[in-house]
This record gives sequence, structure tokens and C-alpha cells, in this order.
Amino acid sequence: MRFDLHIHSCLSPCASLEMAPSAIARAARERGLGGIAIADHNSARNAQAFATCCAREGVAALFGLEVCTAEEVHALTIFDTVEQAMAMTAWVYDALVKRVNQPEVFGDQPVVDADDNIEELEWRMLGFATRRTVYELGAQAHALGGLVVASHVDRPSFSAFSQLGVLSGDEGFDAMELSRTADESRWRERTGAMPLVRSSDSHLLADLGLVWTEADLAAFTVAELRRVFREGATTLSPPLTRF
Amino acid sequence: MTQDALAAACSGQILVPALADAEIAAGYASDMLSDVMANAPDAAALITIQNHVNTIAVCTLANIRVVVVCHGRPIPEDMRKAAAAEGVGIISTDLSQFEASCAIGKALEGGACA
Repeated sequence: MRFDLHIHSCLSPCASLEMAPSAIARAARERGLGGIAIADHNSARNAQAFATCCAREGVAALFGLEVCTAEEVHALTIFDTVEQAMAMTAWVYDALVKRVNQPEVFGDQPVVDADDNIEELEWRMLGFATRRTVYELGAQAHALGGLVVASHVDRPSFSAFSQLGVLSGDEGFDAMELSRTADESRWRERTGAMPLVRSSDSHLLADLGLVWTEADLAAFTVAELRRVFREGATTLSPPLTRF
Repeated sequence: MTQDALAAACSGQILVPALADAEIAAGYASDMLSDVMANAPDAAALITIQNHVNTIAVCTLANIRVVVVCHGRPIPEDMRKAAAAEGVGIISTDLSQFEASCAIGKALEGGACA
């Protein structure tokens, strides 16, 4: 199965309004992705709509959020159910530095239904750090039954390497993610035995389906992903030459 | 001080001009945007290596007039465009954050490092 664990919906600051769950699910089916995960910044409030839309399109779905830790590390927390993702959201919201969103800078942050109707505009500014460390994030996500994937570790900002320098190994990452343009062989020297995925980090529809991770999954579930991570059995699509 | 004086102080080059009448009253050196948002003084110059578009968003929220990007880090096109649109200046310098901070501090205080 080809899958992508890191897709932003219209809820995320700096994501396009075209990233309605319905459009994401349809594009994923058309572009050959068998499984996709929603991963908005610090929130999973579009996860329910995403679940419905993926079911309509026959694309397997997981539900997550890309959390920004106090160290400004971005990490994906991925769950089997919308309920688990919403429990993680509640924990993140409690830890979020409370600022009111400024739509002219960050976009409207719309929470939508499966038919693209706007239910609400998220008032919290979602684009910045929480007050929780990487270690606290890992512990909470695992306690809720989820996976933790360090986002875009090849990037010079907001990555585990850029923010933490040297890793202790007990940050709680189940896998690390390379971004679209990262050279896998070069980065494997740095990531060592850590399982790797490649994701699109889509903020626009055009981003979706350009890169993916491939694995022989019996089903698109946290348990199956954990198994292929443990076995080192993921294959990354080739890097793009331009972001 | 003006952006021109700021650039001269830190041996920098103005890549994106700030608003014409921009007066820089303080400096703040940080590479964590959450820290900048929480603590930067008003009308400051931000001294940082964070060379990406998110930095500009933080500048507009924190009323930062100019970003001084250190170590000659390249400025991506989306960051330049965002800065131009928001009236936030970008200065590029080869100095480190510490060197730039000291130089700007001296210039702001007219002698002593702030």
C-alpha cells in the first residue's frame, strides 16, 4: 500500500482553503494512495469530516495532528480513531499558548463537515508551540494508543535535529519522516536504525501524491504501521528535485 | 535607529526594505519563535538564524520592524515576498547572532553593549 501520514486540511494555518477533507480524499484515490492521515497543526477538529470523506472514496484513513512541542519540534501523532485524535487534541489545547488567531496572517482555520460546509472557525492560534516537551508528547500519544513520527527531520527548522541537536534516543519517536526533497541515503546515515517514512506535508492539493511511503500492510492501522516500522519494512518514494 | 543605520551597525545588506519611516528602538536575539512572540520588545530588530516565512508572521504579530538574518543564511523567496507584503525589513549579515547583537547593542546605546 502507498500511504501518506502527513496531510494538512484547511484547518491548518498556511494551508489552502482548497484542502477540504472531501477534496483530499478524492485526490488521494485518484493519485493512487491507499491510506492517508490528516495531520493539522495542533488540532484534529477536521478528523471526523476526513473519516466520512475517506470512507466515501474508499481510501483508508488514520487520524492525527502535527504537534509543536515546547522545543519547537514538530511531531505527528497518529491514531486509529477520531476519538483518540480528539483526546490528543484536548491535551494539546490545554497546553497551547493561548492566542487568538489572526486570519489575515494565518488564514481562517475552518472546521468543516464532510460536505465542505464551514461549521466554525477555530479561534485558537494553531501555528505555534505548546508548553509540552517532546518527552511529554511521546508519553501522552503512546498512552492514547498512537504513533509518534518526528516530522520532516531533514528540514533546518522545526525538526528534531534542528531543535534538539543530538538525540538521546528516548524521545519516543516510532519513526522519522523525510520531506519531499530529502536524499534518503544521506539521511539514513544520520537517522541510523530509526524507521523512516516519506510524506508530502501537503498544504495544497497539488502537493498530494507526489511522494509517499510504501509497505506491505495487512490493514492501514497503527498496529500494522508499528509492525512494519519494527521490521524496517518501509520503502520511500524517490525525492523530488524541487520542493 | 533607521534600517540603514542598523545594516551599517551589523555589517549587513538590506535585502528587503522595511517601511520607510521604520524606527528600531530595541533588539531581540532568539531562534525560537514562541519565545520571540512572548518576549520581544516593541519596535525591535530580531536577530536570528530562522530564515523562513514563519519568521515574518511572528514579526507582524510582535511588531518587529526588521529581521537580521545571521551567518549569511539564504532568504527563501516566500520569506522575501511575505516580508515585502508586510513591510518587515530583512537584513542579511555574515556575523553570528552574538556578534550582530553586540554590534547592534552598541549602536543602539551609543557605546555600551545593551
